[in-house]
Amino acid sequence: MTAVTAGRALRWVALLVLCAVVAFPTYVTLATAFLPPRDVAAGALLPDPSHLTLDNVTNALDAVPLLHQYLVSAAVVVVQAGAQLVTASLAAYALVFPPWRGRRTAFALIFATLAVPGESVVLPNVETVSALGLRDTVLAVALPYLCVAYPVFLLRQAFSTFPREVWEATRLDGAGHLTCLARFVVPIAAPQLVTAGLWSALAAWNGYFWPLLITDSTEHRTVQVGLAQLVAGEPPTGVVYAGTLVVLLPTLVLVLLGHRFLVRGLAARLT
Amino acid sequence: MRGNVPHRRWSGGPAGLLLCLPCLVVLAVFGYWPTLRTAYLSLHSTDLFGRPTRFVGGANFAALVTDPTLRQVLVTTLVVAALSTALATGAALAAALLLRTATPPGGRIASLVLSLPFAYSTAAASATFAALFSPAVGVIARLCTSFTGDPGPGWLTSPFWAVAAIVIATAWYEFGFTLLVLLAALSRLDREVLEAAALDGAGELRTAWAVVVPALRPSLLFVIVTQTVTGLQIFTQVQVITKGGPGDATHTIVYELYKRAFGEGLPQYGIASSLALLLLVAVVAITAAQFRLTRSWT
Repeated sequence: MTAVTAGRALRWVALLVLCAVVAFPTYVTLATAFLPPRDVAAGALLPDPSHLTLDNVTNALDAVPLLHQYLVSAAVVVVQAGAQLVTASLAAYALVFPPWRGRRTAFALIFATLAVPGESVVLPNVETVSALGLRDTVLAVALPYLCVAYPVFLLRQAFSTFPREVWEATRLDGAGHLTCLARFVVPIAAPQLVTAGLWSALAAWNGYFWPLLITDSTEHRTVQVGLAQLVAGEPPTGVVYAGTLVVLLPTLVLVLLGHRFLVRGLAARLT
Repeated sequence: MRGNVPHRRWSGGPAGLLLCLPCLVVLAVFGYWPTLRTAYLSLHSTDLFGRPTRFVGGANFAALVTDPTLRQVLVTTLVVAALSTALATGAALAAALLLRTATPPGGRIASLVLSLPFAYSTAAASATFAALFSPAVGVIARLCTSFTGDPGPGWLTSPFWAVAAIVIATAWYEFGFTLLVLLAALSRLDREVLEAAALDGAGELRTAWAVVVPALRPSLLFVIVTQTVTGLQIFTQVQVITKGGPGDATHTIVYELYKRAFGEGLPQYGIASSLALLLLVAVVAITAAQFRLTRSWT
């Protein structure tokens, strides 16, 4: 019996150590973001509650126009994730319900792009976007990603569970494809739509390489690129940690609240 | 008129294609075209403005092997991808197995704390680690000083420790996603099998090793492949934490591509494109291998 208890205690100790190691960077970020530079320089790992300040946060927001870039990132998320949901719903519907010539080819062409790493096609994409005269615009950040394969994949799986006889009945009643999609299919697949939307929003907010390449002026850059520039320009004081925290906040909330939906997306990918 | 509806339904018509069109157009312009264009550019040398000038055949690809700088880039990329994948997968598997038997209140808090890295973007994770690793004033250097009196390794000045810093930052960033996948897979495991193993008197460790790990095999393959693919594309960590340094010690494929195509020097689109194509072929090959392996298991 003591061996069992000892084993259990050992497992909790191991878990505790793992938690401490993994949480360490986040802890330092939190502890340092709200301390005056004096305490940070002195290496205070246990923050003195009476010294807490919001100066770092306001400095970070002013340093690069992080606040403005916040709005740029928000716009990119709305446009990119919104467009991905629309294009993916249309494509997934077309791949599941109506039979048409070329459906298998379209299916293969869409899903083959799942294996194409985004980083390997940036060079010609910079050429294309520049040729369109869109370089250094907010639209350019979202443009190549208005449709990606992953949400199509998630929604195709969701739509496949919609009973085919019901679809045929609504069609026989004279409903058009768009009506059918919006009125009958989408409501049934609402949870998966949320999952797809969360993944799309997360990817849009977190993007770095493409936004860095296609924008030049600080006012068209996303908050991720702004954060990297904050790091390049500052010694690692509370301002950098405060900036990180500001950038991290929306995704942290999203992950904590949307945990269930994100895991559903992962589970769908595993089958 | 209703009579001919069923007939039209089966003959299809342009509706399906029209519905797929927005998607197909975006993928054609920003997925397929740039792939072809990259292949074309990789076979040419370019002028001062990066415009293709002369067909050079496989010369750019030969340079990837013969040029010592480029060879080093490939080696560094493989080392970083392999080590960070091994570290993150090992730690996440250990965490998942520990969480499996942890009782609710503590276990729930632990799993929430352990998924923290998943909330980070590559830029946020890189910014954090850049601050942690920075010499003298960085938290890690200060901790080392207060315990040993010595600021510890020169994370950004020694080639070895700079690669280690990139590996650690990447493994930490990947850990959150990997753990979430493994936890999702664990929650779908067959309860009866696990209970039968427990009734047989199999201990925790034995059950974990003989029952749980084999059942997780497809998910483990998935996370290893996903992380290897992400590892081969590492850019943000390098640009933010080490800026490729010291010297060229932490240049990875995508960082080198970035430097050659958009860096301060003259644009070398040919070499940059051959790096991009190499990356593409590697990723497609790994994904195809995963696909075949998974199919053979089911």
